[in-house]
Amino acid sequence: MNILKIAWKEVKHDFRDIRTLVFMIAFPIVLMLILGTALTGAFDGGDFDDNIALDDMTVLYENSNEPIQQPFDAFTKELEKSGIHFERLSKGTNGKDQVEENQADAYLSIDEDGAKLYLNDQNSIGGSVIQGSLASFVDQYNLITEISKAAPEKLDTVLTASTDHDYIKDQTLLPDQQPGSMDYYAIVMTTMIALYAAISAAHLITQERSRHTADRLMIAPIKKSEIFMGKLIGSIAINTVCIALVVAFSIIFFHANWGEHLGLVALILLTEIIMAISFGLGLSFLFKTPTAPMPVIMIVLQLAAFFGGAYFPIGDADGLLKLMTNISPLTLENDAMFQMIYANDLSLVIPAIAMNLGISLLFLVFSTFALSRREGL
Amino acid sequence: MNILEIKHLTKKFGDFIAVDDMSLTVGEGEIFGFLGSNGAGKSTTINMISGLLRKNNGSIKMLGKETNKHPIFIKKHIGLVPQELAIYEDLTAYENVSFFAGLYGLRGEKLRSRTIEALEFVGLAEKHKSYPKSFSGGMKRRLNIACAIAHQPKLIIMDEPTVGIDPQSRKYILQSVQKLNEMGCTIIYTSHYMEEVEEICTKIAIIDHGKIIADGTKEQLKSLITDSKLIYIDVKDTDHVDIDAIKAIPGVANVTLAENTIQIHTELGANNLNQIISYFIENKIEIRTLDEKEPNLETVFLTLTGRTLRDA
Repeated sequence: MNILKIAWKEVKHDFRDIRTLVFMIAFPIVLMLILGTALTGAFDGGDFDDNIALDDMTVLYENSNEPIQQPFDAFTKELEKSGIHFERLSKGTNGKDQVEENQADAYLSIDEDGAKLYLNDQNSIGGSVIQGSLASFVDQYNLITEISKAAPEKLDTVLTASTDHDYIKDQTLLPDQQPGSMDYYAIVMTTMIALYAAISAAHLITQERSRHTADRLMIAPIKKSEIFMGKLIGSIAINTVCIALVVAFSIIFFHANWGEHLGLVALILLTEIIMAISFGLGLSFLFKTPTAPMPVIMIVLQLAAFFGGAYFPIGDADGLLKLMTNISPLTLENDAMFQMIYANDLSLVIPAIAMNLGISLLFLVFSTFALSRREGL
Repeated sequence: MNILEIKHLTKKFGDFIAVDDMSLTVGEGEIFGFLGSNGAGKSTTINMISGLLRKNNGSIKMLGKETNKHPIFIKKHIGLVPQELAIYEDLTAYENVSFFAGLYGLRGEKLRSRTIEALEFVGLAEKHKSYPKSFSGGMKRRLNIACAIAHQPKLIIMDEPTVGIDPQSRKYILQSVQKLNEMGCTIIYTSHYMEEVEEICTKIAIIDHGKIIADGTKEQLKSLITDSKLIYIDVKDTDHVDIDAIKAIPGVANVTLAENTIQIHTELGANNLNQIISYFIENKIEIRTLDEKEPNLETVFLTLTGRTLRDA
């Protein structure tokens, strides 16, 4: 009960703090509007269709299962229209090596055992497009291969019924599901501002000290852990409400596409908020003065936002840029979102949530340890 | 019955001993004054009593229980009015009191009535919907008190509750302290204002360098210095006053200078008033007024510590 009382008090504080509200709600919305509008051209390649323009992509393929060649050719012909070009792998070359060396964006291997896809950069939007486009083909091919091995007599039945039954969920990326600039910035600005929860979290405990209310809290018949939990839950609640409002605003007024898996979107954002708050809290215990963590937090947030694609999409990156891009937690958050929304691919959802919760745990354990050693808050 | 018993209490910060083997008792129903200069150890002692600081040695018993063994029980019966304002500027007066009282287990109608009672007690009931940022310094001080009393504690610790407020608010707070005491609360009161302590406290401890150097009722403390008196001499100009020269006059124990007033602490029966006046005449220092006072707490403090409370 005390935890909830403290949490509710935190919510009241923040809702009455106009600066916090403006920062958490108006700031991302304004940025969405400005960047989403100003960079429309950069996303549509100049044809003003409001879609991200991707460079043409090359997929190397190798097919040792000749009967499948004809339907495969028909399939690839359709994808050529979307700028995905298929080239048969030259003899004596290794498809995986060529992909690793950036000579192709993907390599598809088809044989009697099934089909395998190797991507150059699974985390890029281009990679998502290829993966999404080929996923249904690969899955369908693998299904037919397995059935032909286990029960060849039922193959006809499955093939005939395939139009009526969804043995494989179609993950093909439809042209109208590609992110427009407003869609893009709705997502990246929201994940960025969720990370900014670290700033207010850095003041959660130190503010009680500077207001001298820490002593009054500590003299009350409650445990230090209750104060900590109350403040943590309150901060999570207020930031969640702010982010929910930003998402709702982007849907209603900018018609941003958040996909069909809104529950998973919410889960990723919630765990990201927890991670950001834990990070801010942890740093506030690491430094002695209340202002000391702020420069560190700001640098981390800015770098994470920049390399995570908050201001513009980071395409194919090499060397240090690639390293920085991979380090930024927003890269995984945003990729998980884009793949889920635009390729119906949930494969990055669990890694994103696991990363958020893992980092949260690390900083929360540190914070509770530091708090337990302190005299007072 | 003693509400608080402190025995051999010690607190160190590195090599600095803030509280040094302190022992004292506070009886139920007392207004216990804690007198001491800045850094004397008052706040450190108060913080150890209220559980904000860990002690290095000794024991603190409240209501017969060790504070470190029964922290929750002890905290339920303590109300703290910190020296600094400890209120939330963005919560209304009502929300401030209600929030803190709620942490003491008060719920529902009981919480509401106790919150209103506390606000009425400090004269802020009509302002219960207002935010403290619109309050005067005195009103904020009163709200600071309300936050500490709504749960009706047995022991209220007030650490310099009248710092920086107007005389009217100070009077209100002093009356409130006495009223709380009449309602059955025991109060530990620290102040820089000697006259406040003298006015309201039933028992006083003088603390210096982390040690209690004297304690007892006002009368008991004054009886410690029945052999001395204070002479106040108000002069036009203190530029030419040589304190060492005055100290050299037989019977003069101590001399302090506060603005244009020279306080001379001298032994009773020394019959040195003529010599003192002669000093001023010989040095052509114009005397405006001269006042001789009976021992008071100021004299006691000066005698025992060698300095005035405000100088310290």
